[in-house]
Amino acid sequence: MTAVTTTTTAVAAAEAGEVPQVRRRRRLSPGRRLPAARLIGPLAVLALWAAASAAGTLDPGAIPAPWTVLRTAGRLWTDGTLPTDILTSLRRAGYGFAIGLSAGVLLALASGLSRTGEALIDGTVQLNRAIPTLGLIPLFILWLGIGETFKVAIIAIVVYIPVYLNTHAALAGIDSRYVELAEVQGLSRLAFIRQVVIPGALPGFFVGLRLGVTSSWLGLVVLEQINATSGLGYLMFQAQNYGQSDVILVGLLVYGVFGLVSDSVVRLVERRVLSWRRSLNN
Amino acid sequence: MAPQLEQLTPPAVRLQGLTRSFGGRTVLDGIDLDLPAGQFTALLGHSGSGKSTLLRAVAGLDHGVAGSGRLTAPERVSVVFQDSRLLPWRRVLDNVVLGTDGKDAEERGRAALAEVGLKGRERAWPGELSGGEAQRAALARSLVREPELLLADEPFGALDALTRIRMHTLLRDLWQRHRPSVLLVTHDVDEAIVLADRVLVLDQGRIALDLTIDHPHPRTYREPVLGEYREHLLTALGVTEDHK
Repeated sequence: MTAVTTTTTAVAAAEAGEVPQVRRRRRLSPGRRLPAARLIGPLAVLALWAAASAAGTLDPGAIPAPWTVLRTAGRLWTDGTLPTDILTSLRRAGYGFAIGLSAGVLLALASGLSRTGEALIDGTVQLNRAIPTLGLIPLFILWLGIGETFKVAIIAIVVYIPVYLNTHAALAGIDSRYVELAEVQGLSRLAFIRQVVIPGALPGFFVGLRLGVTSSWLGLVVLEQINATSGLGYLMFQAQNYGQSDVILVGLLVYGVFGLVSDSVVRLVERRVLSWRRSLNN
Repeated sequence: MAPQLEQLTPPAVRLQGLTRSFGGRTVLDGIDLDLPAGQFTALLGHSGSGKSTLLRAVAGLDHGVAGSGRLTAPERVSVVFQDSRLLPWRRVLDNVVLGTDGKDAEERGRAALAEVGLKGRERAWPGELSGGEAQRAALARSLVREPELLLADEPFGALDALTRIRMHTLLRDLWQRHRPSVLLVTHDVDEAIVLADRVLVLDQGRIALDLTIDHPHPRTYREPVLGEYREHLLTALGVTEDHK
């Protein structure tokens, strides 16, 4: 029906001696992305903040001006407080993350590659997952004291769970067609694991890794604000007692930088390691 | 003539009373079949006729499937699947030499790729290949192992019609050069007639028809002699020309 109508119109137009015009359809997709789109929102918020501070509409006791925050950061940096606290915090997060990552990967391999391992490990981890890790803090303080060990242990637990879950799911969910292929090609068990299973599970592992990085910061913040005598969280906690909102904002800023940088690093590594994935997107 | 040959050289594949069943349903019902070495055989059948089950049994891929009977197959067997089944995280050449050991593996992989017309694509990712190219790479992977038996499970089923015709020529050429025994599972009657020297029809788990196609290669779809074979096969498959 439609085709017939179109033809008639076209013929009529041709007879009238003019080329039939095709009217473009109304575009429904949002169109091309703006340049540096991800920065526009945050920059607007910052500008608004600065403008409101300059106009005096913000209570400087509650929300100090951006330049006050920067000045405080500079002062804390030069007097040595900030570098020490950052280092302490980074060490905690780093150790906890490294231990959690290794444990998550090792357990996922043991459980994903052998049925015995799965029987022993998977149920246990799932049970562990059901208990909110931060709820373990009182018990861990009793066991390990209030020092660094307990903090590292909690961060490690917070990290290993997402790493394990995603890596194990990826290992267990290996496409059965690839298993069949490996059998046909006569791969040894070791070659099968190295060339098929592990590369196939890497995308899942990276999902877990990114969740693990986020969790490690979250764990760090909680731990440092309730049970610490050093570190960024302690700095912020002290500032709360003295009503120094600019110091609290400095702490938040540093946490934000930690999160952004670590996530970018993981993304970068992921892009490198999974470069083959880009070929699938087009 | 043919029976004499079979007596002289042992068959590449021998099935004796091969039975396979899934959940109590008999899919292969006591099949006796010899595939002589170097023969190009096509296996036709409806979906669910058991043709893939038979191929998987010969490939040794039917773990945990209930069944009985005797099965002899050569040492070096390659399988080409309907999907190219290239590992997306390995480059094309690395895919072709998957499971191939030895110092000359890479060299042989390159030669196989050249043979299927993919010279220069060694470093490409599988995701960058077209459907036809991917299936060529899969063919190269099966060739690298110098198979005595090549099993192909509807290898061209997912390709467009033009690509399929080109792949037919390629497969036939490769077979003529390397002379493996070929068992090609397909549901395409024309494909079977154009490619194979012998066509089997599988119906309800039994060989319903065993047809030798005695006609010189290369064949085209339009040859009238082949029309007779086609009708013969379609009848065996329970399809009459009225339905077409």
